[in-house]
This record gives sequence, C-alpha cells and structure tokens, in this order.
Amino acid sequence: MIKIENLTKRVQTSEGELVILKGVSLAVNKAETVAIVGASGSGKSTLLGLMAGLDTSSSGDVILDGHRLSELDEEQRAMLRGQLVGFVFQSFQLLPSLTALENVMLPIELKNDERAREKATLLLERVGLGERSHHYPNQLSGGEQQRVAIARAFASEAQILFADEPTGNLDSATGSKVIELLFSLNKEYATTLVLVTHDERLAKQCHRTVRLVAGEIVSDEVNAETAPQAALEGAAHD
Amino acid sequence: MTSTAQGVASGAPISKRPSVQADPMTLTTLARLSLRLLWRDWQGGELRLLFLALVMAVTSVTGIALFTDRLEQALLSESANMLAADRVLSGRDEAPAEWIEEARRRNLETAQTLAFGSMVFSDSGNVLVSAKAVSDAYPLRGQMIVADRPFGQGAPIAGGPAAGEVWVESRVMPALGVEVGDSVFVGNAELTITKVIITEPDRQQGGMMDNAGPRLMLNTADVPATAVIQVGSRVSYRYLFAGDGDDLEGYAQWLDSRTNGEFRLRDVRDESAEVADALNKAESFLLLGSLFAVLLAGVAIALTARRYSERHFDYVAILKTLGCTSGQIMSLYMSIQVVLVLVSIVLGSILGWGIHALILRALSAVISVNLPPAGFTPYVIGSMTAIICLLSFALPPLLALRKTSPLRVLRKDLDDNTLSAKLPYGIGLAGSLVLILWYSQDLLLTSILVLTVLGVVALLSGLSWLLLRSSTSVGMKAGSAWKLAMSATRRRRKQNVLQVLVFSLTIMSLLILTLLRTDLIRDWQAQLPENTPNHFLMNVTQSQVAGIEEFFRSNGVEPNQFFPMMSAGVTRINGETPQLRGSDENEQSNLTERSAGSEEPEVAAEEDEGDGAPQRVSTRQITWTSRLPNDNQIVAGTWWGDNPTPGFVSLDQDYADRLNAKLGDVIEFDVGQGQLREATVQSLRSVRWDNMQPNFFIIFSPGSLDDLGGTYLSTALMEQEQKALINGLLRLYPTIVVIEIDALIEQIQNIIAQVTSAIELIAFLVLACGSLVLLACVTATLDERFRENAILRTLGAGRRLILTSLLIEFASIGLIAGIIATLGAEGSLYYLQREVFQQEFALHYWVWIAGPLLGMVVIGLLGVMATRRVVNTSPLTVLRHIG
Repeated sequence: MIKIENLTKRVQTSEGELVILKGVSLAVNKAETVAIVGASGSGKSTLLGLMAGLDTSSSGDVILDGHRLSELDEEQRAMLRGQLVGFVFQSFQLLPSLTALENVMLPIELKNDERAREKATLLLERVGLGERSHHYPNQLSGGEQQRVAIARAFASEAQILFADEPTGNLDSATGSKVIELLFSLNKEYATTLVLVTHDERLAKQCHRTVRLVAGEIVSDEVNAETAPQAALEGAAHD
Repeated sequence: MTSTAQGVASGAPISKRPSVQADPMTLTTLARLSLRLLWRDWQGGELRLLFLALVMAVTSVTGIALFTDRLEQALLSESANMLAADRVLSGRDEAPAEWIEEARRRNLETAQTLAFGSMVFSDSGNVLVSAKAVSDAYPLRGQMIVADRPFGQGAPIAGGPAAGEVWVESRVMPALGVEVGDSVFVGNAELTITKVIITEPDRQQGGMMDNAGPRLMLNTADVPATAVIQVGSRVSYRYLFAGDGDDLEGYAQWLDSRTNGEFRLRDVRDESAEVADALNKAESFLLLGSLFAVLLAGVAIALTARRYSERHFDYVAILKTLGCTSGQIMSLYMSIQVVLVLVSIVLGSILGWGIHALILRALSAVISVNLPPAGFTPYVIGSMTAIICLLSFALPPLLALRKTSPLRVLRKDLDDNTLSAKLPYGIGLAGSLVLILWYSQDLLLTSILVLTVLGVVALLSGLSWLLLRSSTSVGMKAGSAWKLAMSATRRRRKQNVLQVLVFSLTIMSLLILTLLRTDLIRDWQAQLPENTPNHFLMNVTQSQVAGIEEFFRSNGVEPNQFFPMMSAGVTRINGETPQLRGSDENEQSNLTERSAGSEEPEVAAEEDEGDGAPQRVSTRQITWTSRLPNDNQIVAGTWWGDNPTPGFVSLDQDYADRLNAKLGDVIEFDVGQGQLREATVQSLRSVRWDNMQPNFFIIFSPGSLDDLGGTYLSTALMEQEQKALINGLLRLYPTIVVIEIDALIEQIQNIIAQVTSAIELIAFLVLACGSLVLLACVTATLDERFRENAILRTLGAGRRLILTSLLIEFASIGLIAGIIATLGAEGSLYYLQREVFQQEFALHYWVWIAGPLLGMVVIGLLGVMATRRVVNTSPLTVLRHIG
C-alpha cells in the first residue's frame, strides 16, 4: 500500500544543512497497522508528512497505492490525499468555525457526496458523540475533539490513515478510550494505519513497530500479539 | 518475533499508474461550503471588520460622489441664476437669426434681452435708467422677485413684464413721483408700471450698460415703439440658452467658429471670478475628501483582509490535508469575497444614498433649488471602489493563503503566523493609484497625494531603520508598565512600523482636510467680510468728491476712498513692442473692469502700417494713489512713501508676468486723448481680486497723470433701508453712476455657505473612515496581544500593569504617528494650497503641537479601548482558545 525508497530529507538552517531523514526505506501492506516510534527530533513526524504527501523529499520516493509522489505536484498530491488518505493529529485540527457534524461532513462534501450529513451523523454516533453533533470544537473536551477528528478521518473512506501522536494531548484514560476507538474503526474499515507515537503501549497495539533514531530506521519489529499470522510468517522467513 | 527492517511486507511492484483526478468541486458543494464558511466567519466576528471596511468604502465614496454630483448641479443651478440661463451669448449687435434657430434645433430653450441706457419720463419727473427689454421666455433660470409697492416684501413671479407693461426698481418710483399702475414714457412708448422689481437673476451681468442707474424692465415687443434704439445706439444684446449639458456643449462648439470675436458665449464661470473660484475650490476639496476616503477605506480593507488571511492559514492547511487543491481553495475564498463584495455594494450604495440624502436635508436651508435626480455614475464609482480595493488589497494575502503548506498541520513552526512583508502590495498600490486617477481625473491632485504617501513611507523607513538599529530587547521586562510597554514596542517593531504608517496616513488625511477646510473658510470669510461695500460709485468728477463724502457722512454712511480712474493701454516696454504671454482666459476677471464695461478682448501689439504709431494693448482701468489699497501686498520693489515722485508705476504681479515686465522697466502708456506717458515699474503687487473692492492692475504714483483729469471710483456700504439715499444722491449729482452689487454679494455668500457646509460634512465622513482604519489597525495585533497578555496574567501580572503598559505602547506609537502625520500634512499642504487651491501657504504652528498630541491621545485611548478585551477575558479562555 505504501512503499518508501531510500527517502532523505535535508533542510537548510542558519547553522548549515540538517539531514532529518537519512535514506529510509519501508513498506506497509494494505490493512496493516504500523507504529513509528522514536525520541523527539528523530524525524518521525517528518517521515509521516512525507508518506502522506504533505511535504516533498530531498531524494528517494514514496509510492502511495501505486502513485510515485515525486512525480506529482502539490495539486495532484492534494487530490490523492482526498482520495486515499485520512489524518488524525495530536492537536485535533478541527475547523473551529464548523460544528462537530460539519467537520465530519467536510471530507465527504469535498467528494461531492450528497449523503454527507447522513454519513457524518452515523459516524458521530459511532464515536459516541451523536448528541453533541452541533457543538463547536471549543465547546468540546480534548477527548471529544479527538473523537470528532477520528470520525472525520474515517468519513472520507480513506484507505490509509495517518495518525500523529493521537493521544499526545490527552490524559491516559481518555487516550486509551480514543485509541480503542481508533483501532476498532480501523479494523472495521480495514484501513492501513501509520501511527507516529512515543507511547510504547500504543505502539504495541500495532502490527509492527518501526523505530527511528536520528533519521534512520534502527529496528522494524512485528508484534506477535497483534500482527496477523501472515505477517508473522513473512517475518519468520526473513 | 523480530525481523529486519526492509522487505517485511514489500508492496506490489509499481505496475499500475492510475490517474490522479479529483472530482471537481461541484458548484453546489462550493456554494454550500463558501456560505457556511462565510456565515461562521461572520458569527465569529472575523469577517465583520473586513465587511465593515468594504461597506464603509462603498458608502463614503458613493455618498460623496452622489452628494458632489448633486451639489454640483445645485451650485451650477444656483449660479445659473446669476446668468438667468446656462449660457449667455453677448454682443454689441444682433446675432444672426440662424444662430438662435440652431440653438432651438438642438433642443435648447432661448430668450433674449437688450440693455440700453434711457431717460424715462413721468408727469412729474425724469430719471436715467438702465433699461432692459426681455423676451417672453425670460428668465430661463432663476426667478424675478417683485413687489406691489416700492421697497415692499417681494415674491417670486414667473416670466417678465408683458407687452405694454414696465417693471421698475423701487427707487425709480420716488424719482418719478409715480405709483404702481401709473404710466411712464420710455422714448415714444407709454407703458404702465405693474410691478416693482426687488431682485432680478442676472442683475449684475454685463458692463456699465446693465448697471448704470436703476432698472426699468420692459418687453422686447415694445422696443420698436420706444424708438430709442437707432443706428449707432449703444445696446448690449444678450441671448440666453438653457438645456442639457451635452446639447449646450455641442452648441458652444458649433458657435465657436462663427462668432469671429464679435460675440462671446459664456457660462457662470466666465462671468464671475468670485463664484468660479469658490466652485473650483469646493470641487477640489470634495474630490480630495473622497480621495482620502478611498485611500483610507483601501487601507482598512488591506489590514482587515490581511488579518482574515492570517487567521485562515490553519484552516487552509487542514483543507489541503483533506484533499482540497489550491484551485478549490481559491474558488472557495474568492466566492466568499464575491458574496462579500456584492452585499457590501448593495448595502453601501443604500447607505451612501442615505448619507447624501441626510446631507442634502441638512443643507435644505441653503440649497433651495429643486435638484434633478443623481445619475448612475456615483453608484458605479462606489462599486468599482469596493471591487478594486478588494482585488488590489485583499487578493495578495488571499493568494498567499493558497500557498500554505499542508505540512503546517504537523509543524506549526513551519510558517510564521504572520504574512510576509514581501506580499505583492505593489498590486495594491497600483490598484489604488488607478482608482484614484480614474476617480479624480486629476493628475495634479493624484500626484500630490501619491508623493505625500511616498514621503510618509520614506520618512517612516528612516525612522524604523533607526529603531531597528537600537539595542534589542531581552525578555518582557515586566517589572514596570513603562518597561513592559517599551519592550513590547521593540518586540513588535515590524508590526509597529506598519501601524505607525497607517496611523500617520490616517491622522495626516484628517489634518490636511481640517487645515484646508479652516483656511478655505477663513479665506472666503475674508473675501466678503460683513461690512463689504455693496455699492460702486462711478463717473464721479474731482469736484464732486468732497460733496459726495459730505452727503454720505450726513446720512450715516461711512465714505470710502475715491480712486481716480481712466482707461489706458501699454504701447511699449523699454522701447520695444510688448509681447503678451498666455491668454486672457487665465487672468482673473475683475469687478472694477467689468463694472466699467472695459472687457474688450486684448489684441496683440502690431505696428500700424499707416503712421507707425503702436497700437495700445492690454487696455486696463488705471488709477493713481498714495495709499496702497486694501488687500494689496507688495511682493517686489517698494511702495512709494509719503512723498511720492511722479513717473512711477506699480503693477499686479500676474499682469506684469503677462506683459513680461519687471522692476525698473520703463513702460509707455497710451492714456487716451492721444497722450503717451512713460513710467518706471517701482513695485509689483499681489491683488486680492475676489474681494469685490476696487482693484487695479496698474497704479501710478500721484502726480503722474493728475493733469489728465479722469473720473473717480468709490464704494459705499448701504443697508437695505438706506437704499432710498441713492435717489437723493442722484438728484444732487445726476451724472454719477451707482452700481448696486448687494444681490451679487448675497448670491456669493449663499454659495459659499453651501460649500462650507458641504466640506464640513465631507470632513466628517472622512473622519468616520479614519476611525475605522484606526480600529482595524489596532485590532490587527489583537491575537498576539491576547496570547502574550494571557501568559503574563497567568504568571501574575495585574490588570492595571497590563492596561497601563498597553496605554503607554499605543500612546508612544500615536505620538510618533502624530509627528510624521504633521510633517506629511504640512508638506502636502504646501503643494495643495499653492498649486490646487491658489492659497498662500503658511505653516500652521498650532498643528505642530496638536498633531502629535492628537495622535498620542486618540491612538492611546483607542488602543486601550480596543484591547481591553485582552485583560477582561480570563487567561484560561484565551489559552484554551489559542491552543
């Protein structure tokens, strides 16, 4: 579903060139869940941004469902995101001037789907916020906002979901509930999930854990408890 | 359980290359999203200020344009009363009948008047009158005011006297010993007095023929019966035209090639320098006022659009992650702008109409004429202002929005939260320049305005460079309000430079308009002070001067200076034939010249082939006096002192320029009767031509021309109840001519009162625009202040400390802006007053105190008022809101 080939990201800073990612290669299968873990500054969010086509690499390539991102311009990447990708962010990134329902409706509307309201209402009910659909983000708690964001991520019927520290702004109890919801929906929709986190407990819920240190992958482990049998066998053959 | 990194789940080879195509956003989706965004932004208050700025732009520009349009019509209409027509063709002979036919063919209304001096007889007396025969259609503009008894209360009446009737001015009645209903003889015709003339619209037009002696008005049909007009009689023929502006213009062009200099077609601007001057200045002021309104509205739109865009960076980034393309985002935001601008245009046009109606209502006392409805142009101008302002000021930040990186959702630090200073504001500047130029159609005004703005920007750049050079601030320095304010000022240097620029421009606009308004009104009041003499006395001989002075004193009228007067022309300057520069049209029309009837066109100097004697050119009424007349100032050379030497002359400065004469030049004058006199130019004067006083281009030193005699000219102030004195004066001195200019003075004062009220209202409108800009500018930094002050308060800073620091910060910015504004205002006034308003420029010292003070107090208070929400909102709310 996702293939990364020798991905490098360099940026210019006042102190010279900084290499954030150094020749990273990775492949993620359809419906697989992958956690990218690492310390702050290890390059995990940068990797997520590049994989989702939010940014362009300095060299190497990302292939998303058969599309080489290096061959697409920003407009095409945006279209691809609209078709393929959903997001859940640490800071929720809901549009403050839209209600919970309208936030969830937005990606559906962008696809010109006439049943946006109906679908969004169902999703909000699924995340337990049916009663609060007409509230604005600032009238919701952090956990509730993240549930709206999750509903929005699945609303677009995306095949790939990118989550950036989804529990980073939540207390552990709320975070657990949110994660439970995320994984449950992920399973239901058979979505490919790439999740950036520094929470090891969260990472363990994914099929695989990719560890980044200073812009390089130092390990890529399959989680025996959660990974499907095929993945385990694949890992064993290697 | 573990494995190596690569190849765990390698995807399928890249065999498929499905095309990446987004479903284009349907119109319904776009409309739905745009309206939702618009509505929510409106509810959230983000759009309100931008909308308000747009509405204000449309309102002020439409309102001012509508008002100017109709005021122009009112003033022209009021002024047309002075001509009794829109245009007047005058000459010493009858005009060819086909000219009048052509006018009718062009849908113009026509009327005719003939003026001539004549004796009128009754059974008990006779009097010299200035007779005026009018056709049935007279007057085409304005109305005759008549009464049923002498010096009675007048009432308007349509038309003039019918055949067989005469109307006379009050003082004719006692002079002839007649009553209304009695008969008088005009030449051979016996006519009946049916009305007493109180005022007539075009009373002051024409030369001495129209004004020498009291008026007697008859119908043109009776003229042949009087038999007073013979071959060689001096008659002034006037043909009156009224109609549509284009028709009049077309007719004027048609006539131009046919008049051969024997006839002149004029409008009120040609006829009255005093009115033309007031009209032109008022128009320039109104135009300047609306240009400032456009400029300020543009600045307000730029500021609010920028803030709107800044607040939408995150929004756009999220939309992009959800798959919105730049094109879709632009469509979304542009459709919001389209809705915004359309609603602003509709609302602004309605409000603009309302404001202009309010102004007209307030002025109903002075604008008494029925105005034709305004045209469509003001609405177009207002709408174009909104569109151009939005395109040129709001488009750059919106275009910048389009380029927002979607990565911003992951890394907030990626983009600075404010827009780059390098935004293509060139578009904005070019757009406003085009707008101002298109609107004003006045290159000079536009240039002065642009230069002023550039000057302020240059001044500010220098200042900000100095500020930036100063040491950087470390920390917030929250120990005292003063230190906190100063560190905040330094921290927000770039924003502050922008704020100072906006505040400077706003305060400068207001200062310029206020100062101009004050100077204009002061000038107008000085032009015609309360005690302006309202009668000219002419044709007075030297022997009559003492008697007339005595007559006035004994009747409670203060006699004024008597000026000897004669007609003279320049023949040579330093022995050479003079070469006139420029044309007569640029020279001020002069009441003295007009009254004396010496308005014949100047002729270029030519050597006469017959006897070699040079022709006299530039004939003027001249005088000689030891005392410098009122409102005259020596600008070069010296005025002769108490013991003047004959043989010197003082010239009006502009007239000297036209003659190409300078100090020390010897000028030869033809003073009539075949006499030539030489005089040396000893001084040049500036003369206030519009003060309705005797004024002269040429003044000789006493003793130069005394032997030639000549007649005297003087003025007198006589109130309405003293009018009958003129009869007594004329009985004692039948040969003198009394010209009554009180009607003219009243008309001019009326027009000046109108334009004064108008410019005050325009100044008020611009003040409203300015306030909006100030508010927009203060609000622009609100977000950052909220964040900073919430943190400060969380850390224990008191409300008082923060409020005081805000006051100090804004007051300091206001002070700097006030100083720059004062510099800018004085600089541009220097050019505006000299080049556009033909006023003397003098520094306005009080403004050097008031300007900075005004900036400090207004900006200080406004800043605190607008930002007090910062301290009144709980820190928790703020922190939660900003995330």
